[in-house]
Amino acid sequence: MKRIVMVFALAAVVMGMASAAFALKVGLVTDTGGLNDRSFNQMAYQGLQQAEKQLGVDISVVQSKAQGDYVPNLTRFAQQKYDLVIAVGFLMHDAVEQVSKEFPDTKFLLIDSEVTDRANVTNALFSEQQAGYLVGALAGMIEADSSVNLPGLKHNDTIGVVGGMQIPPVDRYIAGYYQGAKAQDPAINIILGYTGNFDDPASGKSLAQAQHSKGADIIFQVAGGTGLGVIQAAKDGGYYAIGVDVDQAYLAPAHVLTSAEKRVDVAVFDTIKNVKNGDFKAGTQIFDLQNDGVGVGAILDGVPASMKAKIEQIMADIKSGKIQVSDKIPQ
Amino acid sequence: MSARTIWPGIAIVIAFVVGGILTFAFGNDPITAYRALLSGSFGDVYSIASTLVVTLPLAITGIAVAFSFRSGLFNISAGGQYWLGGIAAAWVGYAVKLPAVLHIPLAMLAAVAAGALWGAVIPGLAKAYRGAHEVITTLMMTYIATDFGHYLLEGGPMQAPGYTPQSPPMQPSAIIATLVPGTQLTWAILLVPVIAVLAWFVLQRTSLGFSLRLAGYNLRAARYAGVNPVAAVLTALAISGGLAGFAGSIQVLGVDRRLFDGFDPSYGYTAIVVALLARNGPFGVLLAAILFGALDTGASQMQIVANVPFNLAGVIQGIIIFFIAAEGLLRYFRRRRSAPAAEPRAAAAE
Repeated sequence: MKRIVMVFALAAVVMGMASAAFALKVGLVTDTGGLNDRSFNQMAYQGLQQAEKQLGVDISVVQSKAQGDYVPNLTRFAQQKYDLVIAVGFLMHDAVEQVSKEFPDTKFLLIDSEVTDRANVTNALFSEQQAGYLVGALAGMIEADSSVNLPGLKHNDTIGVVGGMQIPPVDRYIAGYYQGAKAQDPAINIILGYTGNFDDPASGKSLAQAQHSKGADIIFQVAGGTGLGVIQAAKDGGYYAIGVDVDQAYLAPAHVLTSAEKRVDVAVFDTIKNVKNGDFKAGTQIFDLQNDGVGVGAILDGVPASMKAKIEQIMADIKSGKIQVSDKIPQ
Repeated sequence: MSARTIWPGIAIVIAFVVGGILTFAFGNDPITAYRALLSGSFGDVYSIASTLVVTLPLAITGIAVAFSFRSGLFNISAGGQYWLGGIAAAWVGYAVKLPAVLHIPLAMLAAVAAGALWGAVIPGLAKAYRGAHEVITTLMMTYIATDFGHYLLEGGPMQAPGYTPQSPPMQPSAIIATLVPGTQLTWAILLVPVIAVLAWFVLQRTSLGFSLRLAGYNLRAARYAGVNPVAAVLTALAISGGLAGFAGSIQVLGVDRRLFDGFDPSYGYTAIVVALLARNGPFGVLLAAILFGALDTGASQMQIVANVPFNLAGVIQGIIIFFIAAEGLLRYFRRRRSAPAAEPRAAAAE
């Protein structure tokens, strides 16, 4: 009983404080991948939590179970007078387009797509191809250099990539991966496949196993929650996966070669900060290597230091414009 | 009130109590959580409308499932028929040009036909002529239907230009008008009670319904009484499948206004629970569907206000299912201890 009273008292105090300070209210709607996708949505949530801690904003999250949930979930936040509503993912484009029109006083952040014809939507786009290029270059170097001794690696010039749905942000990663790998190992053979979803690790695992049976011993996953199955397959089968969006080395420390990072958390945090400071800008912001919007995660210990240095060099070359990475998958 | 009718209520109460204990155990305040669940599902016009938007497909697929159960058939493929209905309605809705008076009914009719054929042709014929159990066949048909839907939308012939896996939008003439402005609730909600009454009427007050129920109780006795078992199986599955297909058309024409790749949050399986909770009664289905619609809708408010993970709503649904099933077990043990039960079980015929 005492505990319940305490909880109520605390809740009252917290609520009182919140309303007294008129804290900024920020709501986040995940796509169907959910908060525990260990990548995209989770990164967005991290940015949100960081804003809660450092900027003192009120935060709230709703997870979407089906595509049809996007509109009601966004609407619910807008109706409850949230100041900023964050829509995580390309697939929410249409929903944001619709809801932002109905609630012109609510601000929206759309990640990975663009709704440009209105004053209350800001968009965050990433140069995923740059991160894809870096991890592809590493895979290419390792395949081409038979002196690199990683257990289970056969140096047979074959690598794989498992995409989720075939949408632009996924294909930008894959485009960079192709270009980076080919630049380091012109003989490389790349096996590409899509699972058609972001929330089904089992399909990611079976596609990875199929690619491995065709010789791929490094597989890049660009599939959100589905990609967890790719990493699992690499761990079970004794080969290598490349993580996506966030440093995924911790999921299988001996089998994640590196990760292509996309700092969704930075985009979320920066946008919240702008809204708080009254600097909300409609339109599109690009996040790339230059402003640390994309990058590479930790590289596996067994990889020679010379290769790590080479990756650093390539990174500098992309930043300086010496290497241009196209966002189209080469035919 | 017999134990039979009161048990679902007890199961619901137990589920909420256990859910509350779990909420508390995970460090959240159950009272705040349940208050948010309630206000998020019934607190204002928008919330009530949102609840009813989910209730609508659940109620109709629930009636579809209950209808087949009453006829002694386990149609567990409402999800597949729902997909087929959605596909058919979507195609008519964007590809055919007609005035609204004809467009909506035609799209619905196409959905009913698609669902009915999907339910009746393969599982029905396999059951009627080869004795293949409909649980297996309808389950397999569900996988085929959903994967067919994904194929059509993920780079297949029904995908709209662009990258998103979705069909082109419905033409304005195919969209069911909104009932409450600013929400997704359409006039179609008024059809739900009508369908419930019709289903009840057909089952209880027509000779067709009588022969279906008879075939459900005891196929051999039904044959002896002059019921054609093949016709009974096909009819029951066609009606059940047609209803589930109809639910798909309402979702596409009224709520989503496109066919989405993620168009079905497994309503087909929830519908089975709805039907079981309602003891296969068409009116109980309405109440059960409102309950599940509210759990689903209120869950997002629960996340917003109380930071309770939306999975908790799923846990409560799971516990309800568990206790509903547990009652079946209880009855089984009671029957073993005492004399053989007199009460025939519709679903367990054959």
